[in-house]
Amino acid sequence: MVGALAYSALVKDAIHSPDPAGFPGRPDWHALTKACAAGAGHFDELRASATPGRPSASAGTTSANRAEPPLTPAWQKFFDGLSTPGEPDLDRRWLGLQRQIRDNGVSYNVYADEGGPQRPWSLDLFPLLIEPESWLQIEAGILQRVRLLEKIMADVYGPQRLLERRLLPPALVQGHPGYLRPMHGVAPVGGTHLHITAFDLARGPDGNWWVESQRCQAPSGFGYLLENRLAISAQFGQAFQTLRVQRLAGTYRALMDSLRRMSPAGAQSHLALLTPGPYNETYFEHAYLARYLGLTLVEGCDLTVRDQHLYLKTLKGLVPVHGLIKRVDDEYLDPLELRADSTLGVPGLLQAIRAGHVLVANAPGSAFLESPALLAFLPALCRHLLGEELRLPALSTWWCGERSAMHEALPRLRQCAIKSTYPASLVHAGFEAVMGLSLPASELQDWQRRIESQCEEHTVQAYVPLSQMPTWRPGHDAGAGQLLARSVMLRVFVVSDGEQSWRVLPGGLARITGAQANSASMQRGGSSADVWALTDSEIETTTLLQPTLTPALLAQRKRLVTSRAAENLFWLGRYSERTENAIRLARLTLECLQGEDQSTPALLDWLGKMAVVNTLVLPSVPTPAQERRAFERALVASLASTEGATSVGYHLRALKMTASSVRERLSQEHWRVIVRAEEDLFSRCAGLADDASYSTLAALQILKNTSEQMAALTGAQTDHMTRDDGWRLLSIGRHIERLGFLANSLLSGFQTSSVHTAGGFEAMMALFDSTITFHAQYQQSRDLAALIDLLVLDRDNPRSLAWVAQTLRGRLAKLAGSAPDELSALSLRVPDAAAWSLAQLCEAQPAGISADRTAVREAGYFYALTDLLLQCTAAAFNVSNEISATYFTHATASNQSVGT
Amino acid sequence: MRLRITHQTRYDYQPAVETAQHLAYLQPVSNPYQQLLSHTLSISPTPAQMSQTLDVFGNPRCFFSLQTPHTVLDVVARSVVTTRNRALPPSSIGWEQTRALFEYRSNGYFDSANEFVFASPFVPREAAFAAYASASFSPGRGLLAAATDLMQRIHRDLRYDSQSTQINTPARVALAQRRGVCQDFAHIMLACLRSMGVAARYVSGYVLTEPAPGSVKLTGSDASHAWVAVYAPDLPPGQRWCDFDPTNSRCGWHSPGEDYVTLASGRDFADVSPMRGVIHGGASHTLFVAVTVEQVADDTAPDLDARAALRDQTQSQTQTQN
Repeated sequence: MVGALAYSALVKDAIHSPDPAGFPGRPDWHALTKACAAGAGHFDELRASATPGRPSASAGTTSANRAEPPLTPAWQKFFDGLSTPGEPDLDRRWLGLQRQIRDNGVSYNVYADEGGPQRPWSLDLFPLLIEPESWLQIEAGILQRVRLLEKIMADVYGPQRLLERRLLPPALVQGHPGYLRPMHGVAPVGGTHLHITAFDLARGPDGNWWVESQRCQAPSGFGYLLENRLAISAQFGQAFQTLRVQRLAGTYRALMDSLRRMSPAGAQSHLALLTPGPYNETYFEHAYLARYLGLTLVEGCDLTVRDQHLYLKTLKGLVPVHGLIKRVDDEYLDPLELRADSTLGVPGLLQAIRAGHVLVANAPGSAFLESPALLAFLPALCRHLLGEELRLPALSTWWCGERSAMHEALPRLRQCAIKSTYPASLVHAGFEAVMGLSLPASELQDWQRRIESQCEEHTVQAYVPLSQMPTWRPGHDAGAGQLLARSVMLRVFVVSDGEQSWRVLPGGLARITGAQANSASMQRGGSSADVWALTDSEIETTTLLQPTLTPALLAQRKRLVTSRAAENLFWLGRYSERTENAIRLARLTLECLQGEDQSTPALLDWLGKMAVVNTLVLPSVPTPAQERRAFERALVASLASTEGATSVGYHLRALKMTASSVRERLSQEHWRVIVRAEEDLFSRCAGLADDASYSTLAALQILKNTSEQMAALTGAQTDHMTRDDGWRLLSIGRHIERLGFLANSLLSGFQTSSVHTAGGFEAMMALFDSTITFHAQYQQSRDLAALIDLLVLDRDNPRSLAWVAQTLRGRLAKLAGSAPDELSALSLRVPDAAAWSLAQLCEAQPAGISADRTAVREAGYFYALTDLLLQCTAAAFNVSNEISATYFTHATASNQSVGT
Repeated sequence: MRLRITHQTRYDYQPAVETAQHLAYLQPVSNPYQQLLSHTLSISPTPAQMSQTLDVFGNPRCFFSLQTPHTVLDVVARSVVTTRNRALPPSSIGWEQTRALFEYRSNGYFDSANEFVFASPFVPREAAFAAYASASFSPGRGLLAAATDLMQRIHRDLRYDSQSTQINTPARVALAQRRGVCQDFAHIMLACLRSMGVAARYVSGYVLTEPAPGSVKLTGSDASHAWVAVYAPDLPPGQRWCDFDPTNSRCGWHSPGEDYVTLASGRDFADVSPMRGVIHGGASHTLFVAVTVEQVADDTAPDLDARAALRDQTQSQTQTQN
């Protein structure tokens, strides 16, 4: 056996040695795979045989100079499918894969909080191949296990005979925090408790699969694996075709069809996916699944229970919900009966469930089935409940709460894993599993004492060296790419396809270990791989990309805009516009400061005020008239600051956070543009030099790029979104923001007299994005009447106030609850552009007061215009407030628990 | 003894609460040792929906919801019960035997009281409790003798102090500071018992209090109360719970005494709190609780309206537990 260092030397040797296929310098897969063997004592997936020797604690070791058995036929076929095998080709595919993951925004929140890093989902290049006979064995074993677990759950929430017969210790039921007393005696809607369950399997050195644990509450990975499949099958199209890989779509469809059938309203049932929200580590998957399965994505605050029925709060009122796929942990589901401090649940939900008015998948209360200790009792339970032996064995497990089992387990601690019987909760501290092998003798003794004093809390499980599969480590400066063998665990999902009927999803999520050889956790730097379950029979070819949408469902989805989504879309619109405005203002300001000769004191005054009002710089920063360079530096420095001045970067980040809350409503392109724009701006600004004159030019380039990305964002909002009330609110948000910004800018331009200077006149045109139009219409004239005509009155110019006001009125009139063809009270709040006239706006004084008009105009006193601009800014403010009060209140007011 | 209980709970909200859902455990249980003669629950404003069911432990509970804005919620429970006095029964089982019975063996004994051995949200099983309890649980001692001794020690060692703890104060903290209210006394005793492997449950209820000599008893001056019950497996089926009140150092079979009224029992406070709810809106609220327990003549009509008594109320209290 050689260590990691020697191993890399070995790989280098293999690469530089003459190539067996006879292409010197271009090794093909023979050479690559030759160097990739499983560690000693691990089963080698590539060759379907165990590497001799004893396993060691570190991953990625290999035995030296052994004659490796040939690759399995499946893996041979897989590599034969690569058109130009070799490192450059695999590197290319690997890069393509990374790009696709980044572009699709597949992410996994490591620390699941607002400020925490959103790590891209980690996916390895190669799929795990599972031969047909192996898969059939897994499938049969898993189906039997889910039938068994279902029967256990039915008994525990019913007659509890298993407790009476001592087949199940009370400590693992009533002593487990996942046993929910409020669900006792409740028969599940649809006759089935378990709809989506997952099993983690390990493949031992002998090639047999062993059950390591089961996830019965809300297993994650059910959506990531779909994304994995799309990405990997695209990378290896030919192999995917020739290897007869089983497809996944049919299973998802079967689940959805059966959930709908079992729900109280039958085929017409409205199903939703309940998520804890965007800060959850697997939120990406929730949004992805909701979109793929055609479910409404909801958070607890989107739902309400009335008279034991569940409803969704939408812009158009309450809409019944008949089924929930939940990704919220059970104890948080209902603050009235479960954890009172939960803000993720729905008060009254358990009453609705007990009344049979809503199907919840899985039925709440299944978490006790996840205890590793249960595995010790399943063989006897299976004989008792099914009259069968377990087909797929679990790793030997001892629950130390049973004295005899503890005495069996203690002498084996060194060869075992020590696991917490209970998850961490209010009642149990819980602990991370530890491997006996990795512990020094003294610590092992500490554990033994701990187990003896708190025996029920501890479960001991046999350790099996995990099988190892090839993964790709791309080439980099120091060397060429290589195949590395890494330990893998297989998560298999089983779904209900009818009452008391299940099917195994023919695929799954392979979880690849990081540094630690035997813990496959995505939280601890592990990676994932696609799973190809191969078959000798026909391949079911339900298409993967088309969600099951009936016309009725389509209509339903179109109609439903939750109050929370509506609010987020509104703010998405506002932040989009605010970002664009900040970019345009920042560019304009920097450009004006660069061109020395044009910048009159009035223009500088206007720019300085605008920068402060729009928070591009803090008020304490010297004005450009005082210290031009200091102002300029502050403006550039704050572009990507997230505290102090709230400039472009701040708005972009807020835009992204808001967008992430409505991910399921945004097209892939839309989301991608947002993520890229934010990332690019922050990374480019971080590289800005200290040298002021140089960094201004660089900043202008950055702003130009960001501006182009924002144009793409606007395009996505305009062209790729359905015109429902959600989109309408987004558009309203944008126009409210634009109305306020433009009116304010113009007002300030007149107040500072900036518009009366040549530079200021041009700058105003630029800020309104109307320079080209103006010069096309008015050539070189700089008449203020012309300016007012184009920027205020021109209803064909999408940047004029009249156009913005008119559009805003129109959108408001169409908003939910408004009578058709009639302006709502809300839309009447926006000034009516039809009533504006150029003559009036150019008047120097209120009508009836005579004065020397020319003189007054020259001095800048445009009373009517000033009045109108003030009306516009007030309207922007008031309409925004009223929309919040009318449409979002029940989304914002939070629930609180009270008690005596 | 015939006892009449009036238990008023009143929330004042600011601003108005828009919708609310509540769960009340305010109806005394009815069993061979305590008869419920009458019970009414008046809720104002009138709930949009209300349902009465039994929970998994057999306690009556009431769900109700309000779907219109309200600034006041007023809930008044009026009950009349008859109670009996029974001294602790003779029980010979040793505490170690009880503990052994609840240890899991595949061919062992099963008893549904097993679930009261486990830790629950307010009752942890920790070394500190076992250490405190061990002085009472000497080898070979009888279960009820050990429990009685434990109750007396808690009563002696801990100071009753209504200001010392909040509803959510962990039993561990209350034990460390040696002070608390009845709920803390009960949770501490439960944690000690369960740490020793004894099955014990939390009982919520009332106790009749006598005014200080020379003064008149004030309406509303009582409070809801809590104590514990210990499971003695050698007693006849259905009669195995013995009640211990560490706050007052009183004990008895099925009840600490005939001046006690049992509302409900569960693993701890969280299972049977008199009222809990989730409100939507109402940024701040004030809570007012008034309890009156009074002895009435055995021939008093059970449906006497206690409203008059409440109307005359001269003293108000915020929530207290004794």
